[in-house]
Order: sequence, then C-alpha cells, then structure tokens
Amino acid sequence: MTFWDTLLYDLFPLIWSGMITGCLYALGALGLVMIFKCSKVVNFSHGNVAGLTAFLVYGLSSGVLLSLSWGAAVIVALLCAVAIAFLIYAIISPLVFESDLTSTIATLGFGLIAQGVTLLLFGADIVALDLPIPRFAFSVFGLLVTGYDLTVLAVAVVTIGALFIVIDYTKLGIAFRAISENPFAAEVCGLNLRSVHLFAWVTAAILGVIGALLIVPTTFLSVTTVATFMLQAFAAAVIGGFASLPGSLVGGILIGVLMNLFTFYVSPEFSSTFLLGIILLALNIFPNGVLQRVGGSRV
Amino acid sequence: MDQVTNALRGDGIALSFGGIKVLKGLDVEFRAGEITGLIGPNGAGKTSLFNCLTGAYRPQHGSITYAGTSLDGLPPAARAGKGIVRSFQHVALCPDLSVRENVMIGVARNYSAGWASAFLPLSAGRKERQDMAAAADRVLADLGLADSADLLPSELPPGTQRLVEIARAIVGKPSVLLLDEPAAGLNNSETRDLMKVLRKLASTDLVLVVVEHDMDLVMSICDRIYVLNFGEFVAVGTPEEVRGNEDVVRIYLGSDDDE
Amino acid sequence: MTQRLQDIAASSIASWIPVAILAALPFIVGGSWTFTLGLCFANSIGVLAVSFLVRYGGEVSIGHTFFTALGAYAVGVLDTRFGVSLWASVPLALLLGVSLGIAFAWPSRNLHGIYLAVTTLALALAVPEMINNLDWITGGYEGLYVSTPLVPGVEMGLQRYYLGLAMLVAVAAAVARFRLSRQGMTLLLAKTHPAAADAFGTRRVWARIAVMGISGGIGALCGATLAFSGSTVSPGGFTFWQAIFLLVGSVVSFYGLSLVRVLIGGAFVTLVPQLLSASGAWIPVFYGLSLLGMILLGHYLPRIQKTLARRKGGA
Ligand SMILES: Nc1ncnc2c1ncn2[C@@H]1O[C@H](COP(=O)(O)OP(=O)(O)OP(=O)(O)O)[C@@H](O)[C@H]1O
Ligand SMILES: [Mg+2]
Repeated sequence: MTFWDTLLYDLFPLIWSGMITGCLYALGALGLVMIFKCSKVVNFSHGNVAGLTAFLVYGLSSGVLLSLSWGAAVIVALLCAVAIAFLIYAIISPLVFESDLTSTIATLGFGLIAQGVTLLLFGADIVALDLPIPRFAFSVFGLLVTGYDLTVLAVAVVTIGALFIVIDYTKLGIAFRAISENPFAAEVCGLNLRSVHLFAWVTAAILGVIGALLIVPTTFLSVTTVATFMLQAFAAAVIGGFASLPGSLVGGILIGVLMNLFTFYVSPEFSSTFLLGIILLALNIFPNGVLQRVGGSRV
Repeated sequence: MDQVTNALRGDGIALSFGGIKVLKGLDVEFRAGEITGLIGPNGAGKTSLFNCLTGAYRPQHGSITYAGTSLDGLPPAARAGKGIVRSFQHVALCPDLSVRENVMIGVARNYSAGWASAFLPLSAGRKERQDMAAAADRVLADLGLADSADLLPSELPPGTQRLVEIARAIVGKPSVLLLDEPAAGLNNSETRDLMKVLRKLASTDLVLVVVEHDMDLVMSICDRIYVLNFGEFVAVGTPEEVRGNEDVVRIYLGSDDDE
Repeated sequence: MTQRLQDIAASSIASWIPVAILAALPFIVGGSWTFTLGLCFANSIGVLAVSFLVRYGGEVSIGHTFFTALGAYAVGVLDTRFGVSLWASVPLALLLGVSLGIAFAWPSRNLHGIYLAVTTLALALAVPEMINNLDWITGGYEGLYVSTPLVPGVEMGLQRYYLGLAMLVAVAAAVARFRLSRQGMTLLLAKTHPAAADAFGTRRVWARIAVMGISGGIGALCGATLAFSGSTVSPGGFTFWQAIFLLVGSVVSFYGLSLVRVLIGGAFVTLVPQLLSASGAWIPVFYGLSLLGMILLGHYLPRIQKTLARRKGGA
C-alpha cells in the first residue's frame, strides 16, 4: 500500500466519521456551554439526564413501559427532559446566586439521582435503540457515507442553526446574550435572570435528548453510555473555551476527529488518558479561551 | 539628590487597560527617611501605581528600581522578599486566621522551618511559631490591639481590621512600606494613634508612602506630597507648596462640585 | 499559650475520646464489623484529602481516585510482586502521591473553580483505563490481594483494623498541626486573598502546587490504607463514581478536617453502599439525595438560624 492509499482508505474515513461523532459532541457541549455562559454552573447531570430520557424513549416505544410510536415516545421524553430541567433549576436556583461551585456540586447530586432512577426503572441491562431511518449507503471518492451519517449531519445542522437563530433574533436569545456578557448590568436593565437561566436549562435538555438519541445507534444503550458520551462533550466544551458557543462546535469536531485518529493509530485502550492530555494541553496553550479574565484581578 | 540611595524610583511608568490609559508615564522618587503622601481624586490611579510598584500589575512602559537595583520583571513575591510591602485598600485579611496569625503572616517570609515541622511535632516548627507570635504581639501592642489578638478579623469593626492590615505590613520590618488608605474608616482617636505610629516608623532607612483621602493626616505627617489626577502628576512638593497650588485646589474643589 | 491554641489543644483532647472508643471496638463487635470499620478509616482519609483541598486551596476535586489508586497499587504491587510490607510501601505511596499531585498541579496551575473541577474529572476517568491496561503490573480486573502482615504473628484482621485507625489518627493529627504552621497559614491567606499572599511572599503557583501535593499525598495514604485494611486492590474501587462519592463524603462532613468530621464522611462513603447493597440502584439515588440535602442544609441553615435568632431577640 502506498502512502496515498493509506491516506485514502484510513485517514479520510477516520476524519469523516470523527466529524460525524464530533457533531454530536458539539450538541452535548452546546448544552453545557449554554448553561455555563449565563449562570456559570457546569451541569454535571447533563449526561445522566440525557441518558435517562434516551431510556424513556426506549421504554415508551418498546413496550417496557408503553408501546407508543417512536415519534410519540420522543415527544414524551422531550417533555420529561424539559420538566426535569425545570425541577433541577428550581431546586438549585437559590444556590446559583450564591456560589457557582456549590451549585455545580449540586448538579452532581442530580446526576447521581438520574442514574439511580434509570437503574430502578430499566435495570442495568444493555438494550438497543435504533433510529427510524432508511438504511442505505453510498460511496463518494472512496468514502462510505451511510444514511445514519447524513441524518446526524442534517439534524446537527438544523438544530445548531435553529439554536443560533433563536439566540440571535428572539427576545429571549438577546437577553441570554446580554446576561452572559454582564449579568449585573443586564439585570439592572430589567432583564430577568431566572427566565434566561431557565431558557438555557431547557434548551440544554433538548439538545441533550437529541444528542443522546443520535449517539445511541452507534453503540447500544446502557446506564453509562450517554454519560460517557457526555464526557467527550465536556472535553469539547473545555477546548472550545467553555464560554463560547461556536467554540464548542469547533471543539466537538476536533475531539471527534482526534479521538478517532488516536484510537486507530495509537491505542484504543488509552482514550480517556488521551482526553485528559488534550484537556490539559488545550488549557495551557489557550488559557485565555478558558480563563476569561482580562487585565488581571483587582486588588 | 544622589546621596539618597535607598529610594524607590519609577521612571516613565505607563499602564493601560484595554486602551484606557490609567498611568501616563509617571516619574516618582520615594525617598527613605521621609513620609511621602500620594493623593488624588477617586480613580486617579493611586492604587494602580502601588500595584505597579509591588509587581501586581505589569506596566507597559517604564522601569522601577529600589536602592539602585532594578525590580523590573520580578514577581510580587520576590519584591516582598526585598522588603517591599504594602497594605490593601480593601482589607485583605484571611477570615480563617486569628488577628495574631494574620499579623504573623507579615513575618513569615523571614522564617524557613521545613515541611516536616509543618506536619510533625518538631521543635523547629514550635519555636518558629513562638517567635512569629511574639513579633506579632509586639506590633499589635504598639497599635493598641493587644486585646484583639485572639479574635477573628470578622469580629472586629472595619477600622480596626484596617489597623490589623497595617500591623501585618509593618511587622516584618519592611524597607519600603506602601499604605493604601490606612485611615479609611478610622475614628479620630484611632487616626491620631495611627499618625503617631507612622511618625515613629519614619526612620532613616524606610521608604514610607501613604495614599490617603484624609487631608489633615496627609498635610500633617507628610514631608512630600505627590498629587495624581487622571494618571498624571499635577503637583509635587511640600505640604505648603501643594496646598498653595492652584491646580490642586481646582481638582479638589471641582470634585466637590460634582458631589 | 494563648486562648485559641488552648481551644485547639482542648479539641484534640476531645478527639482522643473517640480514638479510645474506636481502639476498644474490636473487642466488642464482630469480625465483619471490624473489617468494615477498617475500610471506613481508610475512606475517611480519602475524604480528608478532598476536604483539605477545599479548605486550604478553595478548590474542588472530582478526581481523587487518581491518588487513592496510586497509593493502593503502590502497596498492592510491592506486596504481591515483591513481598515488601507496608513499612516500605507506605512511604513510597506518600512519595508517589505527592509527586503526582505536583505533576498534576503544574499544568493546571492557572485553572480555578469549575475549570479545575472539570480537569480533575478527566483525571478520574483516566484511572480505571490505566489500571486495566497496565494489567501486567496491576493485575487488571482481578486485582491484587494484599496479605503480607505488618507485624508478623498478630492476627491479620486486627492488623487491618488497627493500621487503618493508626493511619487515620496520624493523618488527622498531622493536618491539625499543619493549621498552625507557617505554610498552613500562608496557604489559607492565598486561598482567600491571593494578591495579599503574593504581596507577602507567597506565590500563587507555589500555593497551588503545595496544596495539590499535600492533598495528593493524603489521597495516596488513603489508597495505601484501603489496600491493606481492605485486603484487595481492584479497579472497582477506583471508578469515576468512587471519586464522586469521596466528594459527597466531604460535602456531608461540611468539608471538616477534624477526626470526627472526616469519620462521618468516611462512614458515609463506606456504609451507604454496604447497607444498600441489596438494592444497588438506590445507592446513587441515596448519595445524590444526601449530597443535595447537605448542600441545601448548608444554604438554608444559617438563614433559618438568623430568623430564629431575630425572632428570639424581638420577643
Ligand atoms: N484591573 C483593572 N482592570 C481595568 N481597569 C482598572 C483595573 N485596575 C484599575 N483600573 C482602572 O484604573 C483607574 C484607576 O484606578 P485606581 O484603583 O488606581 O484608582 P485610585 O486612585 O486608587 O482610586 P480610589 O481613590 O477610588 O481608590 C480606574 O479608572 C480603574 O477603573
Ligand atoms: Mg485606590
């Protein structure tokens, strides 16, 4: 095999599939960043709650709980996700205004509860949850493109596009941007912090459900699948600067591609260690992306 | 001029934050043996100048020397090691430490018992703590705070907290002492005590600079006064010269008009 | 010497009473309880490591299993591969914990709060993977069995219990002493007012590295104790969830560093899974609820007390 052949047969497909999963990481990361941007809370329950809702879709459509159609199950699950987001925010909102770190630890508690509830309702077994999409595949320049790939791309583009439109043009979205820039000034101007926070939590929950449903077909569904997937989303958010929505998009795709290359060329066993390395490296090379402080602290 | 060797000098110090010029090329010489006053309206850049001198801020231009050696590029901790010490405008005491312990921190840089004695009951650590506590108690007594030594800072009124801050700054026998609004929040008798302490401190080898809004204090204890406005000096001189300076009067009257 | 020092001395005497009670326990309760309590002591040290980071560094770690695993495998590997007893492996564990704490602190020296927490999360995730993939030395999934006695001739169950107790008391005493040391005081100042600490000769980076090194060292001691008192070292003890449980233990004990407080946290981490072992799914639920409960309690209690006090004052 020549160098070019390797490139064609290994590298391009790896980058392509890395980009597809990267889009999903970006969906997860966007949710984390939305919440972080306006309330400075890192939502550690994101993965577990999204996992719970994915299980709800499974339970509602497979007959374990009910036998709804896939679409109806997704709608019910989305409603549940929104309700859970409301509930979590209602409980932690008094903390949010006091200490972002304490409220972040509190979200770990919700993550634990969501995981426990998933176990209680569905057990520790592995189940399969597929998407109702046509199965086809074709190849472009030697690259195998499947229906799944196209679905993920389409959904990601539509969702992210919709999100940016909402943030740029709706009243709530503009309030969100204002509060992310300067919560104090924005509140003085009469914007309601709580409703903006809720907007972020609900949007994040919806993004989480979408991401979870799209990632599950590539593996299977267990209590930890979605939580593990969200960890890559964490890395994506960190690399993107944690406070930047476009940054998390770039971070997601970067993580997707890098992880794919690493598992293929170096070792599939040390992927989390690799992730740790990437995070530390990124934080050191682009500290300003992460540390938003400019001009040093005041004394 | 040249015989004053132990002076803290700044040449052309310019500092800006994102295009806003906070200090516009300041030349200063704070001499040992004198009490120098640094006054100016709110936002003039007094604290920023202190921050540049102690290394908390990096000025974009200019150089700083103490006793002829350059301090440029030295981090704050290293400047503290050279005896350049400050107090803070916003009281920066540790709430978990008692008043005595907060003051002990001011001498910590002169001690060096190792890690083993930090964790194990060794005599080196015990002796170090006793020495530090004795030094702290002496200064606290000087400032009339002996009774408060075992309290937590939060149990003291704000004015007294400020005195603790000053105690922490002077306990380590600094060679340069920069006090940022030491009399803010003090009542009249406390201010008088403070003035006494400052006069006593003004020995031949100490560079003592006081930022203060209390004009009576500044005018009565300072040998030289620098007046800062919008990052520039508008007047430098003895209290009489400064008092008579028209620009200074205008700045202060002007700011009174605004209020 | 002084009032506060006397208070501290008095509280250390007060903590000798529980120590005395714990020292007598093996003669009262059964062998399985002795074993569980041994684990409890070990986990208390882990909780102490997390709380130390909070108290002296103002930072939260969700990755301390990295350090506990380090200590545990130092003991486990030396014991099973080389037959070296704790006398040598505990100092090695401490050394490793401190060095890797420093090694982690350096690249993360500029991270604070949530950013550091997320980074420690990555640390926790990397742990199980490293253990499983270095199976030639760690024994992979099966783990290692620690059986070399510390003092030959003494019954092993008692050794496991008393070593745990001794380690816990020693670490708690050392940490209590540290509070009075020069280094401890400067770290406390650096936590609340880094600029002030800087101005008095304590560099922020130094403070961070020192705190992480110490916390990592304590974490490794927890692991070493866990290995000996718990007799087995396997990846199951160092999962991501275990790292979160340590944090929960720390929150439950209100980040306390005293012996009694960390014992409460350690007992929480050890006993909840045991008591709920029949219904495993309830364990995360219970942990989550306790975590939330304690956080909300910490939030509302001062307010409730204040209103009560006001009402009393008004009456
Ligand atoms: N870290 C910083 N970032 C941005 N701007 C700053 C910073 N520190 C100071 N400034 C600006 O520099 C100017 C001077 O501030 P400084 O605190 O030095 O004033 P000051 O003379 O000490 O005033 P005051 O009497 O109110 O203490 C102000 O306009 C302030 O907003
Ligand atoms: Mg000022």
